[in-house]
Amino acid sequence: MSTLTKILIVLLTISSIFLCGIVVTYVANADNYRQMYDDQIDELNSTKADAQNDRTLFKKESEKYARLEDKLRSEIASLTRKFGDLKATLKIVEAEKDDALRRVNSWAAIVRDFYETTDEHTQLLKNTLAEKIRLEAEKEKNLKELNELTTSLEQKMAVIVMLDEKTKLLLEEKSELQDRLDKLLQPIGKRAVATTPVTPERAIARPIIPETRDIELKGLIKAVDLKNSMASISIGTAAGVKAGMKFHVTRGDDFICDIRIIDVDAEEAVGVLELIQKQKQPKAGDNISTNL
Amino acid sequence: MSPNGQTRGGKVTASDNLYTVILALAFCVVLATAVFVAYKCHFQYDTIFEIP
Repeated sequence: MSTLTKILIVLLTISSIFLCGIVVTYVANADNYRQMYDDQIDELNSTKADAQNDRTLFKKESEKYARLEDKLRSEIASLTRKFGDLKATLKIVEAEKDDALRRVNSWAAIVRDFYETTDEHTQLLKNTLAEKIRLEAEKEKNLKELNELTTSLEQKMAVIVMLDEKTKLLLEEKSELQDRLDKLLQPIGKRAVATTPVTPERAIARPIIPETRDIELKGLIKAVDLKNSMASISIGTAAGVKAGMKFHVTRGDDFICDIRIIDVDAEEAVGVLELIQKQKQPKAGDNISTNL
Repeated sequence: MSPNGQTRGGKVTASDNLYTVILALAFCVVLATAVFVAYKCHFQYDTIFEIP
């Protein structure tokens, strides 16, 4: 074997090993394009499916949003109407509030006046109570004086009674002496003249008889209830009628009966019939008067 | 061709069988590479010579 052949063999072997190493390295590190293609196809299909799902979901969501939009539009319209109503109500309420505030102010002024009046009345009551206490003290004092005066008066009355008894004795003695004197003077045709005392006689104190005056109320009988012996008359408190008054019922010059008033109104009074006669019974229209 | 070394003009030289072995080694390397490439093609693309 020639040297050239040997060299070529060695070179061929070295180059073969080198190139085969390069080929093996390249093939070992080469990408699997089919796998990548399949992956890309799968990814594409998945993406298409996702896109389809997204379109379907988008349609559903669009419809849903459309319905929701319609609903919200209707709610907005409703709320707008309610807002308008509430605005009107707010105006009314504000007007009522102003009115109420005016009333509150008015009531506050009234309450202030009331408090001032109450304070004045309280002060007046205090003054009145002080006056009452003072008057009670004065009343106590007057009562004491009255008791003292009553005691003194009783003592003086006892003295007066004693003096009256003495006066009676003296008068009896005087009449006895007058009889004796008359008996002594009769035979000579004379009689004793009443002597006037040098000292004027003191009169005994007597109570003053009160002066009376006729009431002179006149009217008519309005109605008669003989069953209950009741009658109503045409005058009342306005004319001066009072409960307990007695009216005489007359018809012409005849006396019919009496009415004792038990209840009085302004223009009318009711009373009980008294002294009713069987022949002459009272009737509506009969005259009544307090004095015959 | 002797398996032992030959002496040519006083120099020691390798026998021819050594170059045969080297050549066989080169052939085996090329064959193994071809098999490996074929295996990879068949494994990845299910074919050896066609373009999928």
